[in-house]
Amino acid sequence: MTSVGTPVPRVDGLLKATGTARYTADIPFEDLTHAVLLQATIARGRIASIDASAAEAAPGVLLVLTHLNAPRLPRMRAFAKGGSAQQTVPALQDDRVRFAGETVAFVVAESQEQARYAAMLISVEYDEEPPAVGLHGDAYPPAKVNGQPPDYRRGDAERALADAAVTVERTYRTPVHHHNPIEPPVTIASWDDDGGLTVHEAAQGGVHMMRLGFAEALGIPRRKAGSIRVVSKFLGGGFGGKGFMWPRNILPAVAARLLGRPVKLELTRAQMYTSGGYRSETVQRLRLGADRDGRLGSIVHESTSTGSDMGEFPEPCAQITQMLYACPNVTGTHRLVRQNVGVPTFTRAPGEGPGSFALESALDELAGELSLDPLELRLRNYAETDPEHDRPWSSKGLRECYSEGAERFGWSARNPEPGSMRDGRWLVGYGMATAAYSSHTWPTFARVRIRADGTAVVRCATTDIGTGTYTVMAQVAADALGVRPGDVTFEAGDTRYPFAFPPVSSSGARSIGPAVRAAALAVRTRVARLAVKDRESPLFGADAATVRAIGGGRLARADDPERYDTFVDVLERAGLGHVEERKGYGVMPFLHSTASGIAPWPVGPLLRVATRPFAGRYSTYDFGAQFVEVRVDPDLGVVRVSRVVGVYDIGRVLNPRTARNQAVGGITWGIGMALMERTTTHPRLGKYTSPNLSGYLLPTNADVPDIDVHFLDRPDPLVNPLGVKGVGELPVVGVAAAIANAVHHATGKRVRSLPIGPAELLG
Amino acid sequence: MDFLRPNTFAEALALKAEQPDAVPIAGGTDVMVELNFDHRRPPALLDLTRIAELREWSAVDGKLRVGSGVPYARIIEQLGGQLPGLAMASRTVGSPQIRNRGTVGGNLGAASPAGDTHPVLLAGDAVIEAASARGTRMIPAAEFYLGVKRNALEPDELIAAVHLNAAPGPEQFAKVGTRNAMVIAVCSFAIALHPAEKRVGAAVGSAAPTPRHATAAEEFLAGELDWDAPKPLLDSVKRRFGELVAEAASPIDDVRGSAAYRKHALAVLARRTLGWAWQDHLGKETRECA
Ligand SMILES: Cc1cc2nc3c(=O)[nH]c(=O)nc-3n(C[C@H](O)[C@H](O)[C@H](O)COP(=O)(O)OP(=O)(O)OC[C@H]3O[C@@H](n4cnc5c(N)ncnc54)[C@H](O)[C@@H]3O)c2cc1C
Repeated sequence: MTSVGTPVPRVDGLLKATGTARYTADIPFEDLTHAVLLQATIARGRIASIDASAAEAAPGVLLVLTHLNAPRLPRMRAFAKGGSAQQTVPALQDDRVRFAGETVAFVVAESQEQARYAAMLISVEYDEEPPAVGLHGDAYPPAKVNGQPPDYRRGDAERALADAAVTVERTYRTPVHHHNPIEPPVTIASWDDDGGLTVHEAAQGGVHMMRLGFAEALGIPRRKAGSIRVVSKFLGGGFGGKGFMWPRNILPAVAARLLGRPVKLELTRAQMYTSGGYRSETVQRLRLGADRDGRLGSIVHESTSTGSDMGEFPEPCAQITQMLYACPNVTGTHRLVRQNVGVPTFTRAPGEGPGSFALESALDELAGELSLDPLELRLRNYAETDPEHDRPWSSKGLRECYSEGAERFGWSARNPEPGSMRDGRWLVGYGMATAAYSSHTWPTFARVRIRADGTAVVRCATTDIGTGTYTVMAQVAADALGVRPGDVTFEAGDTRYPFAFPPVSSSGARSIGPAVRAAALAVRTRVARLAVKDRESPLFGADAATVRAIGGGRLARADDPERYDTFVDVLERAGLGHVEERKGYGVMPFLHSTASGIAPWPVGPLLRVATRPFAGRYSTYDFGAQFVEVRVDPDLGVVRVSRVVGVYDIGRVLNPRTARNQAVGGITWGIGMALMERTTTHPRLGKYTSPNLSGYLLPTNADVPDIDVHFLDRPDPLVNPLGVKGVGELPVVGVAAAIANAVHHATGKRVRSLPIGPAELLG
Repeated sequence: MDFLRPNTFAEALALKAEQPDAVPIAGGTDVMVELNFDHRRPPALLDLTRIAELREWSAVDGKLRVGSGVPYARIIEQLGGQLPGLAMASRTVGSPQIRNRGTVGGNLGAASPAGDTHPVLLAGDAVIEAASARGTRMIPAAEFYLGVKRNALEPDELIAAVHLNAAPGPEQFAKVGTRNAMVIAVCSFAIALHPAEKRVGAAVGSAAPTPRHATAAEEFLAGELDWDAPKPLLDSVKRRFGELVAEAASPIDDVRGSAAYRKHALAVLARRTLGWAWQDHLGKETRECA
């Protein structure tokens, strides 16, 4: 009887559905003060004058920070360089304005209303300069892209292009995207009398990473970072937008220190567009060369995204192109164009999301040139081994994903002729795309404690960002211990618990799971050791290593399952309240010694190791195939997605219910990306024109059809002892391309710029 | 800010007379958004939700009086048979939550060119009952919309109700949006057949500073349709009708769509809805003859 693999309902489901889950903003605090941000209304220039006197005199106001009086704050170390920030330039340090929405004042008052009112009384005069807007300026190479050089080459792609029988050369564009989690970011900072800082955060960024970020920002030496506690119990979505230290996280702690009272900052929806990064717009030029049979001889993928003076995050679009198909000659390049719009950051399926739109659209165009079925084209270029690193995959079920998906979808009914399929007045189109995602294994520790009553508690500092970690990790521990999942409580989101890396890059299950399992097995072994030495135990004299868990908290002899002991009895006879073990997984040697969580933060090396798991012997990726049916109203140019089939190889499925939830959510992201999501920037003013959910359209229920999700559920024998890969981001990848391909199939019109709107289809 | 909570309509009118700059609030689905975005900061809010009479509707001799505070959800549930056009438009408003709160009175009060009920009210010859402490006047829908978010109410007036005939013939409403729900119309169109009077009401939304009748299109159809011996419509008639509807609009380019697209889409919606409505009419005629 194992729990892993069964659709255990979310343990926090009832709490969330009934509104009793306590999110960060709900936590009551005595003596709490409230902060608001005042943001720059110009995109570039200088603050000529700022007068906060009226605000300071307003009722309830406790503190107004501007660049004139704010404490000096250090530049933050970038995430890519082992730090915790994307925007490295701290707020309120000088009179420069670098983007619209940059914080120019921080107001603290007794109530949020008073703070808001006071902020309106601050008068700011600007010397405006024309901002750089759009990807028009000079392009320059970033220092690194996801820890790798900005340019990638294998073979000679230019030469192979020139020699190719068939070529496709196209440019694709994707707009600015915002994460738009339902819960706005919240920070509550409070200092105690001993100089200790406690921060309650809506943090995807991992409480330990944030602790180090706070230490850095507040000038607390690393060795004293233990005096900082960061807590994050529930998260109303993150998607990358709550992933790092931004000025909005730091300022409440700064103000709380000055005031000697706790300070709470909750962003407004509009401020979420300028205070936590975004996905950069991209321009991607794709050039493919193939022979007449469709064998790819060359791919050149050149991606340009937004650069900033305040930090650097190139959208890593071309990286998927480097590994997806067997092609001897590949060039991938990343360039940046500086803009006055703030620093971009990771957004669900960074790189692979927009990158796959370009690559998988281009492949569809090539299939058209060759009069070849798009699925057949992909099969002809199937990469049996990782062409980027020239080594085997740890597992790759992509071929099965294709065939299972095609079968479920009814791909064979596709008439290859664009515009040939109809349902009444609707034009019907079928499209498909490949999905791949490089989920990571990050260093993670877990502590498992079995208690005298036979229940267990597992602690790990990760945060459940809404994916179901609380539920799934209880299942993993339950199986390893041999108890019911209901007897296990998983506790997370607190720096007091063992170190965990931020749950980013679909890493949760595959990083936390093995650590939890290892710790639970260690606890079990320890209890078995107690039993085999205990004359009163039915296990007396057995070999502890062979003692098996037979469920229900029972440990039995390998040779005779009828002779068993229980956790409860062993602990009682030993007079122990609990037995506890801590284990790590995916752990670098240099982290092992300092695993209290105050470890140095060697992200650079971590990234390198993580992209080369198994000491460089295997490559591991999540794979999938997306099949989409659209209906296009030919007169109105309206597109509806009417069916989606997604088949995924994510290794072992720990919980089909929570995994399906990720897949449906991911596909829905893809639908939004294809058909509606876009943040528009005023071309002259450099401001977002509608930073709200009325202007930034997300899919509603009526936009999402029935989605057929299927997992191969085949454990990866090499990736980790659980055989689990990642699921959080994979299902986004390829959906937008599959939709664009289906729209082309329906109408004969190729849309290369997202989102797809009626203007493109009627024009 | 004062929050005034009258229990009766008479009290509300007295308060409004006393304080004409008090902003009425019904479902609040427009008012609260405006307050939230700080688009306006009225000295007082006049809460109409306690006034039972505004939440009632009645039908006398095929004439309906729909209280300004009847929410969309109830129009859909209770009036779908008698006011099919209004119910159709109501179904496309926002989300279930918005339809539970939002009202036709609020749609009229806001007078947004994109409000979904306006084309239906125009096509169906609705009359708006405006009341004040001074008395009551009846304003035809065609005279109600004065400009972008401006209507014909005097500062001391409140909307008591909307008067409509139970649909004398088939009605249709269609809307183009940038997604399938929770969406402001890119453009919208309503048509109502009035067989007894041998004429057609047609109006456009979200395609001009105000919702408006497509008068030339209405006149064209009145001349083309054979009400006594109805037969299937010629494509050329539908096409011409569509063109005239598009000509009635004077749309702008905005984030939701271009002016050219709006005109194009209106023509499509007009052709389609005319086809459906006439088909409906034909069906009825045949059923009645059989
Ligand atoms: C998320 C969302 C989605 C929406 N979707 C749509 C949509 O799809 N289609 C659409 O048309 N609208 C939509 N709206 C706008 C709004 O819901 C409608 O306009 C609705 O009809 C307003 O009704 P209400 O009762 O909430 O009005 P309120 O907000 O209470 O009032 C609106 C205006 O009318 C005035 N008013 C209200 N009652 C009276 C009265 N009796 N006499 C005089 N003046 C009065 C108010 O002072 C105010 O100016 C949406 C709004 C939201 C927030």
